[in-house]
Amino acid sequence: MGTVNVKVLERHQKTFWEKSYIPEISRGLGVTVKQFFKNLSPNKEKRDTFTIQYPEAGTDHYAERFRGQHRLMKREDGQVRCVACMCCSTICPANCIHIEAAEHDDPSIEKYPKVFVIDELRCIVCGLCVEACPCDAIRMDTGTHMAPRTDRTTAFHQRDDLLKKGGISIATRAGQKALASKSS
Amino acid sequence: MPMVTINGVEVEVEKDVSILEAAAQAGFDVPHFCYHPALSAPANCRMCLVEVERAPKLLPACYNPVSDGMVVQTESEQVVRARKAVLEFILVNHPVDCPICDKAGECKLQDYYFAYDAQESRMRAEKQHKVKAYPIGPRVVYDGERCILCTRCIRFCEEISGTSELTLADRGDKIEVRTFPGQELDNDYSLCTVDVCPVGALTSRDFRFKCRVWLLTSTESICTGCSQGCNIHLDHFRNETQRYRPRYNSEVNDYWMCDDGRLTYKNLHTDRLLSPQHNGATDNWHTLTKSVAAKLEKQIKAHGEESIALVLSAQAACEDIFLAKLFHEEILGKKAQLYIAGKPSGKHDDFLINADKNPNRRGIEAVFAKLDGIKDVATLAGDITAGTIKTVYMMGTEFGEGDRSEAVAALKKCELFILQSTQGADLLDVAHIALPACTHAEKEGTFVNEEGIAQPFYKAYEPHGDSLPDWQIFMRIAKAMGKSTLNFTFLSKVQDRMFEATELLRKAEEEAAAAAKKAAEEAAAKKAEEEAKKAEESAAATEEPQDSTPS
Repeated sequence: MGTVNVKVLERHQKTFWEKSYIPEISRGLGVTVKQFFKNLSPNKEKRDTFTIQYPEAGTDHYAERFRGQHRLMKREDGQVRCVACMCCSTICPANCIHIEAAEHDDPSIEKYPKVFVIDELRCIVCGLCVEACPCDAIRMDTGTHMAPRTDRTTAFHQRDDLLKKGGISIATRAGQKALASKSS
Repeated sequence: MPMVTINGVEVEVEKDVSILEAAAQAGFDVPHFCYHPALSAPANCRMCLVEVERAPKLLPACYNPVSDGMVVQTESEQVVRARKAVLEFILVNHPVDCPICDKAGECKLQDYYFAYDAQESRMRAEKQHKVKAYPIGPRVVYDGERCILCTRCIRFCEEISGTSELTLADRGDKIEVRTFPGQELDNDYSLCTVDVCPVGALTSRDFRFKCRVWLLTSTESICTGCSQGCNIHLDHFRNETQRYRPRYNSEVNDYWMCDDGRLTYKNLHTDRLLSPQHNGATDNWHTLTKSVAAKLEKQIKAHGEESIALVLSAQAACEDIFLAKLFHEEILGKKAQLYIAGKPSGKHDDFLINADKNPNRRGIEAVFAKLDGIKDVATLAGDITAGTIKTVYMMGTEFGEGDRSEAVAALKKCELFILQSTQGADLLDVAHIALPACTHAEKEGTFVNEEGIAQPFYKAYEPHGDSLPDWQIFMRIAKAMGKSTLNFTFLSKVQDRMFEATELLRKAEEEAAAAAKKAAEEAAAKKAEEEAKKAEESAAATEEPQDSTPS
């Protein structure tokens, strides 16, 4: 058992003005009033507000890794890159991706998504589908917002709509790595 | 019996078991590709190499038998290094197309790669390309690049199905599994090769691209394709059966099942009867059970219970048949005429395919103890046209060996035809009332197979539509008819009473047999006694004169 050294501190005693809070309240109100008039200033550059009049007005202050609406990437010949492995629909926490796989007519493509639908009403824009995709087939880099809508039917993005937004990806797929490094 | 030490654990094993099996008994899993418990061990994959004390090098555990005092290490540094090297060797030409491959999720190569290898490929040469998505048989697709040449499929065709269609062709990195010229992988058990394939080289054409295996939920069930009662895993996703896989049972089907049985799952989802129908119009259970009760009562009053035919289906479970029996006893006063129906018999072999295509014919025998007084459904049409049957209450839509068109035509003449089935088929237009029943995937129950083995099956998912298990339908109708004796809350209560009743029946039968035997014995004894007496008498008679002579 050791001894404990106790240091006795003198308590700070508040003065009458401090106890009344009046100077601090008026100081706080002063900040509010100052900001109020500053943000009413006709010169928008001088204002401090960060409110964006969404969706009427957009902004260019998007982060580099901003996750917008999905798109499906294409192979070099314009075919869909997706091989319907269901990794995205498996990991999707909102169950918003519906894929039906089928055999492709082209013998060099074994499996492709006959149906690929993203239900945007369910999507929580988490980006896990992009992380899970082993083929760089799905991306969320369109920069387009998930816009509010009045008609629910427009929220189901079909495969071909998603493909129209997508470009060509030249990423190598699993098993093609050795080939690619050889040719480069 | 040899004692072996595996990773420091001493086990006593049978003579001549392999190190791999001994390790399994000691609780250690030795990774393997080519070894399968039901097939021979060629030891060609080299995945099961283990370290044995005083052996000059690592030994394949699947092939080497244990000897007394053997000391084995299955997870030593040297063994793990060897496994990693074997995996790297196997993956040299493997396409790693797991996103496309149906086996991904249940692939041994994938599992072992993550467990032991888990490194990037060091190969810089182009991979050897082989045949892809080749239809090696009508139900199986072969992918040469994914094949790891374990020869399990070849050994299956040689040792189990006995058809020997497959072989290895070519050498080195061009080696492939091929069928012999002019043949294809087309035997009654060809889909078992898909099960035994440890990778995605052989895939089922039926299951191909249908569902990823990690999404499937597996329920223990019984195949309803024939009376063999093969144990299965019923794999389902979102309330739909996706495939059957055989489940090990040494008494019934070992590790296998036939292709026809495996594809019977499709019947669970085609043309289902999903809502109660009253004269072709959709109705609900509440009002329909009342009208069924009223109509049955009317028919009983008008023509008596004798005019009612209760058709039992050999496709239904024992519990359903038991409730049908109680319904027959308590509602129909044991007077209604019973019929037994089922699918007509088909092809059979001496392995797993039985001629009787109904899973539970023996179950009806078990529930009713004897089939005296139960007619075959083939005679139903005749009885209706003869006018002895006015009302038909039918489970299922099968007419056995009977003429279907004749039966359907006869059923049109019935005053009341109640159909209780999973599918309506062509009887839906004829039936006055159609009651939707569950398939075996949607309820629990018991099937008794050809050999008399009672096997339970379990509920995989909720019933489709408004369908109900047959036993509950019988209960509802009995309740609507004012008989509350048929009142079971759970299936287990039905089972308790059923097993008790069948036990009583069996005992009664045994007692009757014993009594008959005793009576026969007594009669025989009496006869023998009488004969002995007679013989004595006759002997006495012959003796008597002798006796009498001296006097």
